[in-house]
Amino acid sequence: MGSATSTQHCESAATGGSSSILSVRDVRKTYKLGRVKVPVLHGVDLDVQRSEWVTILGASGSGKSTLLHLMGGLDRPDKREGQRGSIMFEGNDLARQGKRALDRYRADDIGFVFQFYHLLPELSVLQNVCVGSMILHGRLGYMSKRSATQQRATELLERFGLGHRLKHRPAELSGGERQRVAIARALINEPKVLLADEPTGNLDMKTGASILDAMIEYRENAGLTMVMVTHDERIAARADRVIRLVDGRVVEASSGDSQPVS
Amino acid sequence: MEGIDSAVYQALLTRKYLTRKIMPMLAMVAVMLSVATILVTWSVMGGFLATLIQSGRTLVGDVAIVWPNVGFGYYDELIEDLEADPMIEAATPTIETFGMIRLPDDRIELISIKGVDPESYSRVTGFADTLWWKPIDEPTPKDHEREDLRLQADDLKTEGGIDLEQVLENGLAMSRLNPSSGEVEPAGVLGIEVTGLNERTAWGGYYPWGANRALPDGGIAYDHVFMPETGSVVLTVLSLDSDGRPVDPKSITMPIANEFQSGLYEVDQGTIMIPLEVLQRNLRMDEARKVRFEKDTDDPFATVYDPATGTVRPKMKEVVGIDPARVTTVLVKKAEGVELETMRERVREIYAQFASRHEGQVPIAANMSRQIKTWEDLNRTMISAVKKETGLVLFIFGIVSFTTVFLVLAIFWSMASEKTKDIGILRALGASTPGIAWLWIRYGAVIGIVGSSIGTVLGYWIVSNINAIHDWIGKTFKLVIWDPRQYYFIEIPSDVDPQKAIIVFVVGVMTCVLGALLPAWHSARMDPVKALRFE
Repeated sequence: MGSATSTQHCESAATGGSSSILSVRDVRKTYKLGRVKVPVLHGVDLDVQRSEWVTILGASGSGKSTLLHLMGGLDRPDKREGQRGSIMFEGNDLARQGKRALDRYRADDIGFVFQFYHLLPELSVLQNVCVGSMILHGRLGYMSKRSATQQRATELLERFGLGHRLKHRPAELSGGERQRVAIARALINEPKVLLADEPTGNLDMKTGASILDAMIEYRENAGLTMVMVTHDERIAARADRVIRLVDGRVVEASSGDSQPVS
Repeated sequence: MEGIDSAVYQALLTRKYLTRKIMPMLAMVAVMLSVATILVTWSVMGGFLATLIQSGRTLVGDVAIVWPNVGFGYYDELIEDLEADPMIEAATPTIETFGMIRLPDDRIELISIKGVDPESYSRVTGFADTLWWKPIDEPTPKDHEREDLRLQADDLKTEGGIDLEQVLENGLAMSRLNPSSGEVEPAGVLGIEVTGLNERTAWGGYYPWGANRALPDGGIAYDHVFMPETGSVVLTVLSLDSDGRPVDPKSITMPIANEFQSGLYEVDQGTIMIPLEVLQRNLRMDEARKVRFEKDTDDPFATVYDPATGTVRPKMKEVVGIDPARVTTVLVKKAEGVELETMRERVREIYAQFASRHEGQVPIAANMSRQIKTWEDLNRTMISAVKKETGLVLFIFGIVSFTTVFLVLAIFWSMASEKTKDIGILRALGASTPGIAWLWIRYGAVIGIVGSSIGTVLGYWIVSNINAIHDWIGKTFKLVIWDPRQYYFIEIPSDVDPQKAIIVFVVGVMTCVLGALLPAWHSARMDPVKALRFE
């Protein structure tokens, strides 16, 4: 299990944490709703160690999805007095990367799993899983890797119990099955970090548990780093480390057994 | 990493979006109809223009050397020079003037009179083909019942004594037998629309009609007239002296040998051709003895009594010469494969050599240079008018078709909005902004290519079968849009120029790409986080 640290410990880990794969420092984010500015994150610091499972726990509107999007390179942190917080991934600051580098980061290093699956409805299950590889490798690259990619996609789907659903469309699947397809899609390019935003939030308890089991099993076998956003304490309890986010601030970090560490 | 050049997912999504949505089908139909409409319009209007240009060329040869009114002499020599050049196939002298014509129903009209030498005129122009009254084997395209009199030449000869073979020969020779005198007389060839006695039929031919003549007692006399058989007209021409001043009017009774149809209504409704020598004689442009008085240098002090004035005046020496026959125009036909402009230049050179031999007798080369005109120059007004009309119609249809851009834009905008979440998903998976933009542009291009391809094929099919379609509409809905009685061409032009088809196809595709640009830009700029949250 990962080590339990306080927020201060997180900061010290950022400066000397050679094993941090993701390191978030003083990240702020404000959204504009018309003319109204709505601050969401107020200087978040966070370290994620390689192969660690970190759960970000927080109430609705606490900024956990925003933090996940920032860590996934889908958004950029705000500047404050000319300074922008940093999101370091393997020594590179995502906040200062160009668009192409961020596209590459999302395609190659990150896998996203969303609460509402977000599958492409026109594509079959197999095509949905392969689409990430199509984007990453481009035409020539994908054509040369096509059979290998399809084989990996099939293996992933079989592993998640969907071997018989390859040619089905998302609309023909249950919620649990869709989420398994989404997980397989996130894993197709063998990402270094899996970012999951309430992956069981839209599922019943039993299905959610089985999805979580599948993710945990894969993570343990592949040594995958996982950052999961949830508001479910029971899921959080299974993580290596839990970060509590309240009103855009990290107020507490604790070990996975929900024992706060001071 | 994917880019705009590497688009497996774009190809996959384009295919899926195309086959699973009704909206792209609607866009495709809009493009198809637009492309087909433009192609049909352009082909038909272009066909009119081509036919009109061809008709305009029929009676003027390739290049004309024109010196109006007084004309110029020694033209036989010029024609000899011209025909000796390998660039030139033939040349013919003509006179063009205006006069009055009295028709069989006693109407008097203004008319353009052409004096031509029928033999050489036929070699230079399509004159022989324009003669209407002649035996034919094949009916006109719309003469399904074979009603054309010309098809029944043998029957006509037996029943009515009209020998169309003879009528044709008369036309070609511009002469007709006078039954009372038994002599062959010079005769004219009249534009088929001049008399108004030929009724234009629904199958695009003519049926000779009678003439109603107003009588002094208030009655009407009906004469059945077939002009090439018994008809004649009276022409009144105004001869000019060598300075171009009118001298005296002359009337010529001219039997009609045949009638011609050039394909240009203005020409066929207002032109008569008569033998060159007849017109030359009546315009005083034939060869004449010329008497000039000069001072008698042998006996400068000699005097003579003038009985006209009753006075004595210095004796003048009488110099007798020959004033050569004159024509206003020499028409020239180029040899096969010679460029029109090249030949015009050659004709200018030949005329310059000719003029230098006849200095003071014919117009100088510098003045004549601008009077050497190609058939395009001669028909410029008519051609440019039709070209402008074609351009205008195309412009209007182009504007109408431009609405397709907005239609595609509206459909794509709607689709891009509907697919907002897909865009967010693709961005989350690493798709770049140019990649997303290219997805929509590519989608537009595919719709454009498919729609334009079907539209081009449809347009091609419509144009190729336009007359059959028109006939079917006429029979089924009693709707005749193209009636040869009103229009001068029997059939709607039905040729598709491949170059035009390619242009219309490309424009159709561009229209779609243009319509897809804004939605593509909008999608590419979409915030992926907002896109993922889109409901």
